[in-house]
Amino acid sequence: MSVFLLQRLGQALVAIFGVMTLVFFIQRLTGDPTYLLVPETATQEDIEAMRRTLGLDQPLLMQYLDYLGDMLRFDLGRSFVQNVAVTEIIASRLPYTLQLAGGALLVALVIGLPVGLALAIWRKHRSTNVLMGFVLGAQSMPTFWSGILMIMVFGVWLGWLPPSGSGSLSHLIMPSIALGLLSMATYARIARSSVLDELSKDYVRSARARGVGTGRLVGKHLLRNSLIPVISISALEISQLLAGAVIVETVFAWPGLGQLTVQSVQSRDFVVVQGIVLLGALVTIGVNLIADILYSVVDPRIRKGDGA
Amino acid sequence: MTRTTLACGVAFAALFAAGGALAQDFTVNLVNEPSSLDPHMQWNPDSYYVYRNVFDNVVTRDDAGEIIPQIATAWEQVSETEMVLTIRDDVTFHDGEPLTPEDVVFSVERITNPDFGSPQLGQFNSITGAEVTGENEVTLTTDGPYPVLLAQLVKLSVVPQHVVEEVGDEAFNAAPVGSGPYVFEEWDRGVAVTLSRNEDYWGEAGPFETAEFLAVPDASTRVANLRAGTADLIVSLDSDLAMQIENAQGVQVLRAPTERVGFMGMNTTRPPLDDPQVRRAAAMAVDREGIVAGILAGGEQQVGQMATPAHFGYVEGVEPIPYDPEAAAEIVEETGAGDTPMQFATSPVFDQRIVQAIQQMLSEAGFDVEISMTDMSTYLQKARAPEQTERPYFSFGRWSCACQDVDGVQFPLLHSSSSWSRVNDPELDALLETGRSSLDDEERLAAYTEVQSIVQDNAYILPLYQAVAIYGAAGELEWTPTANESLFLNRMSWSE
Repeated sequence: MSVFLLQRLGQALVAIFGVMTLVFFIQRLTGDPTYLLVPETATQEDIEAMRRTLGLDQPLLMQYLDYLGDMLRFDLGRSFVQNVAVTEIIASRLPYTLQLAGGALLVALVIGLPVGLALAIWRKHRSTNVLMGFVLGAQSMPTFWSGILMIMVFGVWLGWLPPSGSGSLSHLIMPSIALGLLSMATYARIARSSVLDELSKDYVRSARARGVGTGRLVGKHLLRNSLIPVISISALEISQLLAGAVIVETVFAWPGLGQLTVQSVQSRDFVVVQGIVLLGALVTIGVNLIADILYSVVDPRIRKGDGA
Repeated sequence: MTRTTLACGVAFAALFAAGGALAQDFTVNLVNEPSSLDPHMQWNPDSYYVYRNVFDNVVTRDDAGEIIPQIATAWEQVSETEMVLTIRDDVTFHDGEPLTPEDVVFSVERITNPDFGSPQLGQFNSITGAEVTGENEVTLTTDGPYPVLLAQLVKLSVVPQHVVEEVGDEAFNAAPVGSGPYVFEEWDRGVAVTLSRNEDYWGEAGPFETAEFLAVPDASTRVANLRAGTADLIVSLDSDLAMQIENAQGVQVLRAPTERVGFMGMNTTRPPLDDPQVRRAAAMAVDREGIVAGILAGGEQQVGQMATPAHFGYVEGVEPIPYDPEAAAEIVEETGAGDTPMQFATSPVFDQRIVQAIQQMLSEAGFDVEISMTDMSTYLQKARAPEQTERPYFSFGRWSCACQDVDGVQFPLLHSSSSWSRVNDPELDALLETGRSSLDDEERLAAYTEVQSIVQDNAYILPLYQAVAIYGAAGELEWTPTANESLFLNRMSWSE
């Protein structure tokens, strides 16, 4: 067990190292941020001075070694633009991303699961076409459009909800729906196929034969058994949502990591981008590591190495 | 119970009356959050919209654009390289400590210290010394005669030496202490900066009790916020969004001609653009009135020189090179300029409608021009390539020196020593140097008048238009936005 764990941990570290190296070099291929930081009237000497201040005058290899050294000391560096510690910047944005991810997941589950269930149980009924159309429509609408539409209707015309921003639960409603609608279709599909799968199983037939009604059948038996694939898909969805919802956050002025990513990439704030990518890598790799370990607990074959 | 009901009722009423109720809490929607609140650090609109309310500058400009006293009540050029400033003695910082001439000296030394690494260094590095030379008197020394000094001091904020030295640069940026009409309250990172009125301000106090600056990156969302009443003032609109606001109730559009000049640059050192005839053809091919009225449509004005009426050195009565596509096509045909493929360098930051229109117009005249789009930092690297001949054939830009003096526009774009310039003309260089170093306004104006005629005769660059800043505001807000794109809260008020 512990050998397996060490192996997996080692792999995770290598993966993180790889991601960090990639993001370091790819960013530096995209141009020199110094030009974006100085006013137009800055002379070549001013630019040189700025470059020295940022440490960008060093050879690339030296910069990379410095960077690795900082990483080992858990020092993520300071933002070029804001001159503030990256950990501080990310920590200020993370709660918002967590809230939005939670809200979106809730919307996706609350709408997606029943819809998937209905699609499976009444699969022969014509009205399911309408439902399917709704699901597909919701997923196909680009967020920058549906978001603005929601803002205009509920924020401006009806005045029920604050049009944008953060600070209260009512601020969270529209961005959660806008983001949740995207994952909703995934849930509906997974729930549908998994319920269909269960429906064809023997225990369902015998339950029916015993005279169990549809409601009881669904509530007592089907739902539980169909939830397993839903849970595993949630792990994927969560790591995706945590990476930040770039467009939703921009449209609703939601101060999460997605918005920060866009701003930092645009201003070539390398250090901040590296920090965000590291966080994303940690979450994704961490979730996978936990999944691996859980699988190995469930299935000894994996642990003993004949499977994987 | 009753009290709760009442409170709810009040809250409810307040909710619906927000914006319309001439709120004491003023909300501004910026594009992004400020990069810094330390006025000696980053220098971009979202930052200075906020910190210019927290800090006083050495001098300032009134709504008409004239330089007027702020921390310095008087200034005198005592020699070619020395200016004596008289410092107000009745100003206190927000922590109650008086603002002294030492603070002014400290501020100058801080921003000009290369080790401090201010991005604004280039605007102030002509200043070589600052000294307290008498009671309430500071003498600034420059590395040579420097006529633009006062115009630069409009942007030099005075920071308290005792606070900066005590808490350090980082903590000062996180919680700035100034002497301006608004006091820093809170910076909720990524969300908002909150200021409150400085009740003891020495000058005109602000009309709002508190002001909140929010980051709202999407322009349509800013408009929605304004219309819903959750914002009182929004920045950075284009003419399409302005039209939406104009048609809505209770909100208004405010426009200000800025000191930003839109222009088409040409590389006069690269064939075929090294031929003045060919450059003139390129200039004549571009329908500037069409760009201003048809594409921008935000109240921009066509200009015939690299300056706006907001600049010192603007030459009255200049007629632009006429728009004449037929004549342009003839010249291109005769000179064979259309045989050389040329790139129009640009980046997504620039208005692509204009870039595409210009490329189309040049192509119609017979030029072989292709748009070369790269990200901003790559574009800037190309535009400022060390070798003049390697800088782009064509480009479109919007230039502002934020100093309202043509030196800040024409020197960087036209003097052969500048990393932006694609012009190499010793006579022009000499005139620009006179303009930069003469302390005699008459002499400077004469030099710039001559610059203008040389630039136009040789078609070194094509001035396009004076850009306009468009804001959206609550209907009751009274405010005159100015050319230097500042949001001075204490110059605003509610009507009635």
